[in-house]
Amino acid sequence: MELLYYETPVAAGFPSPALDYLEERIDLSRELIRHPLSTFIVECTGDSMMGAFIPPKARLLVDRSLNPVNGNIVVAVLNGEFTVKFIRKNDHTCWLVPANSKYPEIKISAEMDMQVWGVVTHIITDTEDLRKCMR
Amino acid sequence: MFAIVDCNNFYCSCERVFKPALAKRPVIVLSNNDGCAISRSEEAKSLGIAMAAPAFMMRDLIEKHDVAVFSSNYTLYGDMSSRIMETLYSFVPKIELYSIDEAFLDLQEMGHSDLLRLGFSIRKTIGKNIGIPVSIGIGATKTLAKMANRYAKKNYREAAVFWAANSVLTDEMLSATPVGEIWGIGNQHALHLSRSGFKTAADFVHAPEDWVRKNFSVVGLRLLYELRGVPSIPWEETKPARQNICTSRSFGSRLAEKTSIAEAMANYAAACAAKLRTDKTCCRSLQVFIQTNPHKTEESQYLRSINIDLDRASNHSGEIIKAALRGLDIIFKPGYRYMKCGVTAIDLVPESSVQASCFDGADHLKSRLVMQTVDRINKSLGKEIVRSAVQGFERSYRLKAEHLSPRYTTRMSDILKIQI
Repeated sequence: MELLYYETPVAAGFPSPALDYLEERIDLSRELIRHPLSTFIVECTGDSMMGAFIPPKARLLVDRSLNPVNGNIVVAVLNGEFTVKFIRKNDHTCWLVPANSKYPEIKISAEMDMQVWGVVTHIITDTEDLRKCMR
Repeated sequence: MFAIVDCNNFYCSCERVFKPALAKRPVIVLSNNDGCAISRSEEAKSLGIAMAAPAFMMRDLIEKHDVAVFSSNYTLYGDMSSRIMETLYSFVPKIELYSIDEAFLDLQEMGHSDLLRLGFSIRKTIGKNIGIPVSIGIGATKTLAKMANRYAKKNYREAAVFWAANSVLTDEMLSATPVGEIWGIGNQHALHLSRSGFKTAADFVHAPEDWVRKNFSVVGLRLLYELRGVPSIPWEETKPARQNICTSRSFGSRLAEKTSIAEAMANYAAACAAKLRTDKTCCRSLQVFIQTNPHKTEESQYLRSINIDLDRASNHSGEIIKAALRGLDIIFKPGYRYMKCGVTAIDLVPESSVQASCFDGADHLKSRLVMQTVDRINKSLGKEIVRSAVQGFERSYRLKAEHLSPRYTTRMSDILKIQI
């Protein structure tokens, strides 16, 4: 014979008046990540995007499902290497543009192999690191 | 109509998503313990690296052609797989997960008229959103879908989608499929068929039913129906619950010390208990075994297993480990160099209907809460952050995984680093 028994204790007492109003606590990752299946998190090093408030050690949320439009910050693969830059394009030409005057713009020519890996949707950084962008 | 979506060279493709410099280089992924190749990029295949080729025999080839070698990173592949499978649900509501890198889609309910276009759309979406190339076969039955997928890979490599939409296309496909390549046909049966004059799947389709039943039983007959376009293989959306759960692995090197083996055994037992908890089942009995390496014929051989019954069905790590180690105590014999040990949980019962024992004073509510908490901590902070002391830290039994890539998508410390 199989006996079912209950292991969960039953508490008695005055019920909380907030019980009817309970909601799930805010879940940041749900708020920030619109497409969880195509979103990846990456970490940056380097200062080429300081002007775009991406200090070294910043984490970026990258959504692969989005189509990059002019002015997006993208994770690109340039000749096999990852980079993060603004993308600028017109009907004929495409550039990867840094946000730091120390670095040149990269004009994408026919012999270069460039692909957009994903579009950066959010920058996660602590305020301490962010101050490096303000100097 | 059914479709199968199959990820191309899945493990290699996963590695490439996070290392685009490997896009044109040959890539291979090795099995557990870095034993042999279990996934090969197209470039590696054309170098002549065979499936299951032992790594040590390929050393020259690897060096000469600069082949990128990886240990299998199942954490990464598992996450990439679930991203793909969940994406498929946005196209079709009925999906059967067939393996880590393959899924059947039931296209019957959907109002899609142009299935070829649907196939292209699925391929494009998975390729863009997740970065994994897939090929797709579509046909009237699961078997025809499988065959269509094979045909797409062979003859429509660029498009990578083939729809056996009508009898002409189905016939074209089956005529190009040797009997040995029919999905689910064994070597014996393939040989038998070709000896009887059937060269291609198209020939087999016209075989008389009586003859097929007589020679290949109902299994062969089912295959015949499937190839003729009559669905005969059941749809299995959810895999049936596991009958037993086995965790066993070869050691990285052979072990003679009982303490090291006990540590390994404790870890396998803990893994086994965790699987039981995931399935919401408990086991009444454990089978524990150890064995030496039967291929080392010059060494003395020993293999023994024993069943340990539990007082009360359990999925508690502590209780499972205790029982496994009790088993090891009985079967361990000094003086051998062991290669492998393992634990199989048998006689499973649902967690909700565990029989209580009269002579058992333990606080099961408390221990269940403890296990739930442990699972929760380990899930958020990393595998086995909290564990029993006997599981140890030494891990001398650990598998070789010398070329392991980071767990890019499941560990904060492992995320992709980009120099910008």
